[in-house]
Amino acid sequence: MNKTEHQFSGWQRGSAGVLEEILPLLPANIRRLVISLDLKLKEKVEEVRIRQGKPLSLSLAEGDILISREGRPARQDSDAYLVTPADMESLINLLSGSSLYALEEELRSGFITLPGGHRAGITGKAVLDGGKVKTLKYLSCCNIRVSREIYGAASEVLPQIINKKCGGIYHTLLLSPPRCGKTTILRDLIRQISSGAPAYGLPGLTVGLVDERSEIAGCCRGIPQRDVGIRTDVLDGCPKAEGMMMLLRSMGPQVIATDEIGRREDADALEEVLNAGVKILTTAHGSSLAELAERPVFSNLIRTKTFERIIILGRSRGVGTIEDIIDGKSLRSLGVKK
Amino acid sequence: MIKLLGSVLIVAASGLGGIAVAGNYSRRPKELKSIRSALQMLETEISYGAAHLQEALSMVAERCDQDVACIFSRTAAELSARTGLTAAQAWEKSIQSYYKESALKAQDFSILRNLGASLGISDRTDQIKHLRLAMEQIGSENLRAEEEAARNVKLWSYLGFLSGFLAVIILY
Repeated sequence: MNKTEHQFSGWQRGSAGVLEEILPLLPANIRRLVISLDLKLKEKVEEVRIRQGKPLSLSLAEGDILISREGRPARQDSDAYLVTPADMESLINLLSGSSLYALEEELRSGFITLPGGHRAGITGKAVLDGGKVKTLKYLSCCNIRVSREIYGAASEVLPQIINKKCGGIYHTLLLSPPRCGKTTILRDLIRQISSGAPAYGLPGLTVGLVDERSEIAGCCRGIPQRDVGIRTDVLDGCPKAEGMMMLLRSMGPQVIATDEIGRREDADALEEVLNAGVKILTTAHGSSLAELAERPVFSNLIRTKTFERIIILGRSRGVGTIEDIIDGKSLRSLGVKK
Repeated sequence: MIKLLGSVLIVAASGLGGIAVAGNYSRRPKELKSIRSALQMLETEISYGAAHLQEALSMVAERCDQDVACIFSRTAAELSARTGLTAAQAWEKSIQSYYKESALKAQDFSILRNLGASLGISDRTDQIKHLRLAMEQIGSENLRAEEEAARNVKLWSYLGFLSGFLAVIILY
């Protein structure tokens, strides 16, 4: 199998600048510590984890580190800066734009999408109403995931999924374990398909995007914070199956894109979309075709050869490595260029 | 001649002083009323519109009495500047600067300050409770302020001139 290397870290431009975007959302004490970090370290931050009474920690690709009271990686756990209740209160205030009352829906789903498309996962005590989570209170842990948009992340994949005969794209599935760059590549694919890629003779197509977890377009109050192209209609925070049908009925898309299908109703909705002659662009968790075929929801989709292209991603040589591209009809590898 | 001119000046000065004090008494209930109705608007925005605090404050600033609009517009501006201030801090800053130029008393200021501490940090029902409490407190301060105004406005306007005359008579 040919393999090609796509190390995202090599493509990131001004990555430390991305971290700057979340600085105004951090409480003053923590902001000061993050600012004083080494620039190289700042570029690599994937998550900022803030837990009340626990050390402030940053997640990097190679593992997590604790931050000392001087704003440097802590050598021992005892040197680490401990997050105070005042920090937590101020953090929640800043993350919610002092409008916690307007975020009940978001708290129920466990995260808030921030300006810039970053996400803050929040946990606390769940308030139940009739056995269902109504909202959260006593918020005590927060994980800010830094979202990095990488232009051109999908440039290797794109030519493989263009159907030159009909001037559109193939039904495509991106397959990878978590944290291998699936969403980043999907986002860039959507952008290029929607805005058009003249280099490959692809005119811009109307894309309907169902962004259930607000991860792809990173919508903040309905407005995409990430570039998802000029012909993309985004349905933010909507359940995938329902959202695909809504888009199909109302927006007349040529391509419907969505993230992480896995439930039975998602597969049913996909079939509905296929029957309407709309192309599908989606992703799933998994590391190989064989593994995917064992899952009941996908076995049928693979048996009926629904997907025309299956792209397998991994991180064997860094995040976003394209491990293989498979033709869905013949189930043979098309290989990837070096 | 100089004596006469001096007397006129004394009467005018103390008269104007009296009018200024009376003016303060009559301004306070007006301001309290405006603040109360602005808070009512804020409650509507929060409970029915579910607007974010910054938007809700700007909307209130546009529609409420222009004398008190600056409290809301300044807080909204601070929040939108994203300087890392919380709503409570931004509110505190803006009521501080408003308080200096207003006819409000310390107790009115502390009602507003207490409200600021809870602004935006809890769920909708809780926010409404805090706003209603503040409105109620302002309402009762307003009643007291109106009574004071009824008693004191006339008193001070007369008192100013009369004390001026008294001084003139004694000095003559």
